[in-house]
Amino acid sequence: MTEPKFPGAVPPERTSTVASVGVRLNVLEWGDPAAHPLVLTHGMWDHARSFAVLAPLLARRFRVIAVDARGHGDSSWSDAYMWFMDVADIAHVVRSLGRPTHLVGHSKGGGQATDAARAEPDRVIKLVNIDGFGPPALPDGDRPVPVRCAEFFEARRRLAQRRDWRPYKTFEDLVERRRAQNPRLTAEWLRYFAFHGGRSASDGWRWKSDPFMANGFGPWQPEWIAPSYRTLRVPMLAITGSEPDTWGPLPEAILAERLSHVPQLERCTIRGAGHFVHLERPRETADAILDFLGH
Amino acid sequence: MRLEHGRIALELHELTHRAGPSLLLLHALYGSSTDWGEAPAAWPGPVYALDFSGHGQSDWVVGGGYCPELLAADADVALAHLGRAAVAGAGLGAYVALLLAGARPDTVPAALLLAGAGLDGAGPVPLYDRDLPVERTESEQAQSAHDPLVWVTELTVRPVDYAASFAQRARRLLVAENGTARPPWWEALRHHPNCELVNDDVRNALQRLAGNNR
Repeated sequence: MTEPKFPGAVPPERTSTVASVGVRLNVLEWGDPAAHPLVLTHGMWDHARSFAVLAPLLARRFRVIAVDARGHGDSSWSDAYMWFMDVADIAHVVRSLGRPTHLVGHSKGGGQATDAARAEPDRVIKLVNIDGFGPPALPDGDRPVPVRCAEFFEARRRLAQRRDWRPYKTFEDLVERRRAQNPRLTAEWLRYFAFHGGRSASDGWRWKSDPFMANGFGPWQPEWIAPSYRTLRVPMLAITGSEPDTWGPLPEAILAERLSHVPQLERCTIRGAGHFVHLERPRETADAILDFLGH
Repeated sequence: MRLEHGRIALELHELTHRAGPSLLLLHALYGSSTDWGEAPAAWPGPVYALDFSGHGQSDWVVGGGYCPELLAADADVALAHLGRAAVAGAGLGAYVALLLAGARPDTVPAALLLAGAGLDGAGPVPLYDRDLPVERTESEQAQSAHDPLVWVTELTVRPVDYAASFAQRARRLLVAENGTARPPWWEALRHHPNCELVNDDVRNALQRLAGNNR
């Protein structure tokens, strides 16, 4: 099938790979290679092409580098997934540039970019976090941690039987699955997203993402976010949408408390956008980022 | 014997064959099933020792991603094979034994925690001020008996209340002591009503573990 069109989506000008701790990361680039670098990191079950609208807007000033996280898009799979390894991957991309860079991350990629900025304060200049401030509380927080741990063990036992996604019969089935998760996004976008996030085989369509990621990222609790913000040494722009969505934004009281621990903070709320701020309001998002980063 | 944990193949070694209750031994960070010496003789039943992923004869994890919960899932795969077993772990293996005892109280009647490498983790609060993992070098890969990346387990946070929640659900928990200072998660167990303090001589501690199995 031919690539679905989406208004404003621009294919990357260059692609390459970065080796990071046993995996090969797929990297997309827009803009002048000599311009100042800016690295984009996407969210869970997403991929670098989800920046195909935002990236060209930022590329007017920057060399924009969007990374497929391990297990996502065209990056290679791992046997196990852990938050820290994603952070290490971002740090590897940052180091590979050979000069300080800005970091812009969405959702899980925003949280991990924040940790990467903390780990590499001399290589990161400014940080933009787009609605990547964690959940309000664990969705199953009323169950004891050891019970959730036992469920994690059960899921790992089942992995021995599960090798791959079950295929969706048609491309439209794949699109429908994603629509259930992202009801605010247009059918036009979801077709573009699924085309680049899926692959077809004789028995149907599958996501490129590794199903093993469904078991989470190792030990973690929302209560650990705020204390970690205190050690952030670069300025952060926190972008959120104004509209409720299947994920985010956090209730303002929780978000404000969490962000109060960030030493150098600017905030920006984009009206009319849900969790995928950069897809629902790409121009406003790009303007806010470019204002914050300056020249 | 070979066991499957997702894409990772694990080696579980049967060290002794006598009839009786099973014991699963979990080695320390950078260790292997060969670390236990004569200790298994102190146990009145079959003794099994697991090589964690990245260690001994088990697979290295492609892309790293080592954390105590992943290694505990290794041990849980071994437990699924054994059905029911007491667990004894050293260092990182002790923390894993705690996780297993708290998450699987129905099939882990007792657990023994011994000191050893990998006991500390990154402390009780997340600071992320440690070095991040870097690529394994070819010489490291060629020369090392374990995956050089397994040290990333030392980056994982071990909050006191997290550890205590596992102790709370464990059927029986023995903590081997010799008066040395320990990380906060272990210190918290000392005062936990579910914990019995035992002398840190391994043979003696295993005999205590074998006795009074409620």
